[in-house]
Amino acid sequence: MFRYAVRRCVGMLPTLFVIVTLAFFVIRLAPGGPFDEEQTLPPEVKANLEAAYGLDRPLHEQYLRYVAGLLRGDFGPSFRMRDVGVSELIARGLPVSLTLGVSALLLALLVGIPLGVLAALRERSITDHGVTLLSSLAIALPAFVSGPLLALVFGLYLDVLPVAGWESGQPRYLVLPVVTLALPMIAYVARLTRGSLIEVMRASFVRTARAKGIPESQVIRRHALRPALLPVVSYLGPAAAFAVTGSLVVETVFGLPGTGRYLVQGAINRDYTLVMGMIVVYGSLTLLCNLLADLIYGWLDPRVRYE
Amino acid sequence: MLEIADLEVAFETRMGHVKVVSDFSLSVARGECVGIVGESGAGKTQALLAVMGLLPRGARVSGSARLQGEELLGRGAGALDEFRGARIAMIFQDPLTALTPHMRVGDQIAEVLVRHRRLSWSAGRERALELLRAVHIADAERRLRQYPHELSGGMRQRVMIAMALACEPDVLIADEPTTALDVTVQAQILALLAELKRTRGMSLVLVTHDLGVIAGLADRVAVMYAGRLVEQGTARAVLKAPRHPYTRALLDSMPRLDVPSSEPLRAIRGQPPDPRALPAGCAFHPRCDLAADLCRSARPRLRPTGDGMVACHRPLGAAAGEEGPTS
Ligand SMILES: Nc1ncnc2c1ncn2[C@@H]1O[C@H](COP(=O)(O)OP(=O)(O)OP(=O)(O)O)[C@@H](O)[C@H]1O
Ligand code: SF4
Ligand SMILES: [Mg+2]
Repeated sequence: MFRYAVRRCVGMLPTLFVIVTLAFFVIRLAPGGPFDEEQTLPPEVKANLEAAYGLDRPLHEQYLRYVAGLLRGDFGPSFRMRDVGVSELIARGLPVSLTLGVSALLLALLVGIPLGVLAALRERSITDHGVTLLSSLAIALPAFVSGPLLALVFGLYLDVLPVAGWESGQPRYLVLPVVTLALPMIAYVARLTRGSLIEVMRASFVRTARAKGIPESQVIRRHALRPALLPVVSYLGPAAAFAVTGSLVVETVFGLPGTGRYLVQGAINRDYTLVMGMIVVYGSLTLLCNLLADLIYGWLDPRVRYE
Repeated sequence: MLEIADLEVAFETRMGHVKVVSDFSLSVARGECVGIVGESGAGKTQALLAVMGLLPRGARVSGSARLQGEELLGRGAGALDEFRGARIAMIFQDPLTALTPHMRVGDQIAEVLVRHRRLSWSAGRERALELLRAVHIADAERRLRQYPHELSGGMRQRVMIAMALACEPDVLIADEPTTALDVTVQAQILALLAELKRTRGMSLVLVTHDLGVIAGLADRVAVMYAGRLVEQGTARAVLKAPRHPYTRALLDSMPRLDVPSSEPLRAIRGQPPDPRALPAGCAFHPRCDLAADLCRSARPRLRPTGDGMVACHRPLGAAAGEEGPTS
């Protein structure tokens, strides 16, 4: 299992390499450059700047230099935020974004799974319909709507929670952003759990457990729940990707100093290295989540063999 | 030991109320093996699941099923759990899907003992080891810690049997226990069931498609057609001289290991009826060579004949006295 995990991590490198390469060239395809829009910049200054950052070199040379830097763990300088390296920006923002994303994922599992179980066991009851309805709503509402809405209700109207800011990660400041980010994931997890548990409860081995006289609560806990959670585990990979994109919006809505804004600003400013850095970070995180999901899957289902 | 009376099973479906078992009565004495035969869809499984309280939610059950005088039907799942696995046990057709994939087989056996005998898990596992040996699983110690997918089909069915036997139930219901297995393994499993019945005095209800199995194992046999019993009697009598044309046709259509076949097999013509649209009168009449007008209008009732029962207006081999009213 450990060897499998290590091998998978090594196997991620080629994938990352492809992501980096594609991203590098695709970004350059976009019109404009980092020093274009400031009209006050005299052409010779602009040329100097471009030379300083190596932007005057042929593209393949820039690419090779970037990759060589990455291999040394250096994400390069930010083109727009003078005097700060991308590595430093990431180090500043990543803890915030990770706290947000991981909390939201955990919340999604902690709330979504019990909701799904409840709905499945009371199939077609009011509870079930209620869960289905609320989850449809949560999936349909984008974060830039649900976020301000929650802020309005809990922050301004009820005045129980702060509506923005980070304050070095005090739990109170975390609640609204985490909930906003988690809502659609809670809904997905609840739906997945509900559907698969209903199916598993019809499985032959559940009937066997009942035939053995095992009380229903134990039939569910010991026999049905683990296989029912497999689809939820498979969802962890996509969920991580969702948390990443969702956090861009949520961080903006709640004014959090995470990495999300770097990606947005970086893209607007054509800050090539900053955008690239974010892509590498987000790409690795997503790949890691997929690996984690696979490992949990194998732990839940002994039929999965690591080879 | 087990007395089933007037059992009826119906499903509420989108197409309405569908009866899949009607007027099903059967008694099984201590230490007796009763075989149930009939084509696919005849209602064998649903009747037995009803007795075990294992039907899915949309099912409506009425009638009675008593185990040593105690009624099983109509109890809530909680009260039924005291019986299931302890005094009445059931094994199923496909032993792969019938075992929980993520639990070690030893734990699945131990679970029954933890539940009903209040053993600790470790004591349960020790007892599970003995049970695995009792059902002749080689290398039982290692098997105990394996998962179902790591065992062969035959071994899985032995595990199912060990699990069913754990609390020494009075009645074991086996629903086509060998259908999913290959022929040599089938014979081994049947030999095991025969041995257990003999040594433990357990009553056995055995559903099978194989009349050879009936001949080898069953004391009595019940034949089902379209949700109803059409014939019942000692295995010897029914196999040798069936009274119901359907039983006759079944015998002619099945390969038998116990008698050398002289004639080629004849499939029963036509299809088993759809329980949503049963033919009027005798449900078998569209496929029966002996069908007469009465058969198309009046349903024959189960009546005693010799040492058994038959539901037919024109039973085969009838002596003049017990001939049906049509002739
Ligand atoms: N949930 C259900 N809803 C409606 N009809 C059902 C349901 N389950 C089973 N049936 C019907 O009940 C009838 C009897 O099925 P049953 O499984 O008892 O047959 P069987 O005699 O065991 O056949 P086989 O030899 O194939 O196992 C079939 O016609 C089947 O279509
Ligand atoms: S009642 Fe009539 S149709 Fe039915 S089995 Fe007997 S002879 Fe055939
Ligand atoms: Mg069946």
